[in-house]
Amino acid sequence: MNRLRKVPFWSWIWFVLGALYFVLPLYATFGFSLEMQRDKLSFLAYQRAFADPEFWKTFGYSNFVAVLTILVSALLSIPTAYWIRLRLPEARRLVEFITLLPFVIPAIILVFGLIRIYSAPVSVPFTQLVLFQPLTNSRVGTTILIVAGYTVLALPYMYRSVDTGLRTIDVATLTEAAQSLGANWSTIMLRVIFPNLRSALLSGALLTFAIVVGEVTLASFLGVPAFGPYLFLLGQHRAYEPAALSFASFILTWIAMGLIQLFTGGQGQAAGAH
Amino acid sequence: MRSRKLYYVFSLFVLLSMVLSACGGGAAATQAPASSSGGGSGPMADLQAAAKKEGTLTTIALPHDWCNYGAVIDGFKAKYGLQVNELNPDAGSGDEVEAIKANKDNKGPQAPDVIDVGYSFGDSSKTDKLIQPYKVATWDSIPADAKDPEGYWYGDYYGVLAFLVNTDVQSKVPQDWNDLLDPAYKGQIALSGDPRTSNQAIQSVYAAALANGGSLDNAQPGLDFFKKLNDAGNLVPTISNNGLVAKGETPVRITWDYNGLAAIDSFAGNPKATVVVPKTGRFAGVYVQAISAFAPHPNAAKLWMEYLYSDEGQLLWMKGYCHPIREADLRAHNMVPADLSAKLPDVSGAVFPTLDQLNKAKDLITKNWDSAVGADIKAAP
Amino acid sequence: MAQNTFSSNARRWLGVLPFFLFAILFLILPSTRLFIGSFTNSQGRFTFDNILQLFQQANILSAYWLSIRISAVTALGGGILGFLLAYSVTIGGLPNSLRSILITFSGVASNFAGVPLAFAFVATLGRTGFITALLKGFGINIYDAGFNLYSFAGLSLTYMYFQFPLMVLIMAPALDGLRKEWREAAQNLGATYSQYWMRVAMPILLPSILGAMILLFGNAFGAYATAYALTGGTLPIVTIQIGAQIRGDVLHNPGLGYAMAIGMVFIMTISLIGYSLLQKRTEKWLK
Repeated sequence: MNRLRKVPFWSWIWFVLGALYFVLPLYATFGFSLEMQRDKLSFLAYQRAFADPEFWKTFGYSNFVAVLTILVSALLSIPTAYWIRLRLPEARRLVEFITLLPFVIPAIILVFGLIRIYSAPVSVPFTQLVLFQPLTNSRVGTTILIVAGYTVLALPYMYRSVDTGLRTIDVATLTEAAQSLGANWSTIMLRVIFPNLRSALLSGALLTFAIVVGEVTLASFLGVPAFGPYLFLLGQHRAYEPAALSFASFILTWIAMGLIQLFTGGQGQAAGAH
Repeated sequence: MRSRKLYYVFSLFVLLSMVLSACGGGAAATQAPASSSGGGSGPMADLQAAAKKEGTLTTIALPHDWCNYGAVIDGFKAKYGLQVNELNPDAGSGDEVEAIKANKDNKGPQAPDVIDVGYSFGDSSKTDKLIQPYKVATWDSIPADAKDPEGYWYGDYYGVLAFLVNTDVQSKVPQDWNDLLDPAYKGQIALSGDPRTSNQAIQSVYAAALANGGSLDNAQPGLDFFKKLNDAGNLVPTISNNGLVAKGETPVRITWDYNGLAAIDSFAGNPKATVVVPKTGRFAGVYVQAISAFAPHPNAAKLWMEYLYSDEGQLLWMKGYCHPIREADLRAHNMVPADLSAKLPDVSGAVFPTLDQLNKAKDLITKNWDSAVGADIKAAP
Repeated sequence: MAQNTFSSNARRWLGVLPFFLFAILFLILPSTRLFIGSFTNSQGRFTFDNILQLFQQANILSAYWLSIRISAVTALGGGILGFLLAYSVTIGGLPNSLRSILITFSGVASNFAGVPLAFAFVATLGRTGFITALLKGFGINIYDAGFNLYSFAGLSLTYMYFQFPLMVLIMAPALDGLRKEWREAAQNLGATYSQYWMRVAMPILLPSILGAMILLFGNAFGAYATAYALTGGTLPIVTIQIGAQIRGDVLHNPGLGYAMAIGMVFIMTISLIGYSLLQKRTEKWLK
């Protein structure tokens, strides 16, 4: 008789406790946001918030940048973590150290540094030949900068997710097996490693997405029309709209995450098992 | 199979977000109507033409609800047909100055053209060669002690520290600083910032000093007062904002009178609130304007200053409950409408510190806040 | 022979070149001001003064200690409870739909911080919070009993809102990796459930758990907005001290701020070393 086939009593306990902890503060925010009209519960705060076209414009932009960031950081993290696990264990500590740096380098120092360096044109040394215009001067350039900045911020989370995912699958054996069947590197990465990382990648993608959509410092100093600065601008002096906005953006981001998860599938399937 | 599906869905997602962000794109480029004051000759017209060629002004840290900046920016856009690129970080004066430094070589939209900073930052920015001088047309009507004689920086508006009170939660409205010590306010009073970093909070302590036997040269009684307030349990160790006031968590908020009055407007009766300028201890805080020495759009910046210091600009600030720096001049010429004047609270007797007094007090307060007030909280588990 | 090793070594390091290039271009280089600035005084000259002040000023040392404490507490608490949550929706046998809900929710909650989070907790457990009011209705006044949201305990409780989800997200894939065959094999060999966990599952999971905990530690260590919004700087953690020196409306000493950030880098390095040592021991159980 398998013990686990009983009603998972403790699992329910932990889940319910966790749910209570998470839901109550949200409920409190939601409740307050309904109180904009005196003595009456109403969605006035939400109406005001959603009536602004800037809300949708900035939310769309941040979503777009978030997807780019997920792609870039995944492309950066997966091969690196894989290579280190398989071929270069000596670099592990150094790479992990670098991925933990974004925690201790204040975002404001990062953004001013990015501006200082990339606001000057890149020219061939000792000549007047200009190779690239400053990144800060063009819309495409600033998008590159902001995606790079966000990739840096998300690096701890994406790399750790990918690394944990790789740890649970036996990378060495899988690679050997694939190689012995004649697969080349790209086949191994795309059709062997990547599918097995799906659930770990999902975690990394969700974490990255949330970071990008809520970020304020990089976005506002780089002058991009992102969601974070918009929320911040509105929230500074109003009373009810910020509560409505934070609740609404929480739900909207949750829906977006649901969509991401729906289309990446792979839920509840043990990675690389059987 | 799976990966192809993934690819399609990701592209769909990306497309969707691009569409959403582009949708509002049309609205953003609101081409303001042609300037009403075009044509003619003279320096003003030349400035306008030069600014129009630049096309944009980049501002930083100007919340729309602060001194009615929303209307000021809209008015500027409408009058001169320029676009305004607003950088809106969570920025204090230090950050604005740092933004100028970081963008020295940058002609892109990240470089602020103009800044609105605390009083002491005017002088320090001048010393650090971060700002350029400019004297507006109405220069002479700006009080001498509120501007740099060489024109590098100039006061723009001032306010007086006051109490914003949520009267639904607390019907006993304090009239003066010492009223705050009443046990009725246990766990109800909060500052609007951290006294180690925020202008508003530091000057709140400074103002309390004035009401408790201190003076512009002696801010120590302010620290003593807040220590008493904290010991009595009346001071809540959090940074208050209008949400917390409306919620009733910090029904008494110490903030600039203009912020409090703007808050009451935004509450629209829910909750009922009032702003009280304390009877004694009236402290005036001045903010200053300056043009960045590396401004990518210097002419637009100068035009912006002309607008701010014109009667129109000054009155718009007044609509935001701020006292514009040219108030005395405006009143002397009967330019202030009676209904607008009636909305402003009585701030007679408010004192203005000199730069030296301000810096000395800041030094004292920021260094000793921890030991006077913070110490208690540190001991908590 | 020596040539072979060199070129094969070089080729090995080539694999991580993109990563290092990216890190240099967009992380290291922009942060150089941090390193240079910590050795510069306000006149722009080279000095060790800033670094020395780290050790001389009592309030800076206590700030570090406070930051370490809150990070450790929330990393441990968040780690344990987050692990239990992750367990409950993976191996714990709860329906798949609940797993999806928890995972996606964790994604959002992991970054719910700053003013909105502080406000949400004030609205729940503040003096006028609805739970406080609810309990008062039952005759329990938590504030009279000594609870205070605006304290170390209150801030830790608030931090958990983004620590739990982070742990859940990292551990769920790792728990997925525990194969059913191992449990069945252990049972066949006569192991009880707890023996299976102590001898088989835990050792396998421990490296991932440690990795997740150091992430939680770093996450809390670098947090700023939530602490500032909730306690207004009265809990002088290092990030707030740094903010006070570099930002704000008062002219302070940016050099000292940068030096403090270097101190944080140093502490992260120490934590990383500790974590590596622990990992080396636990990884003996894996291939």
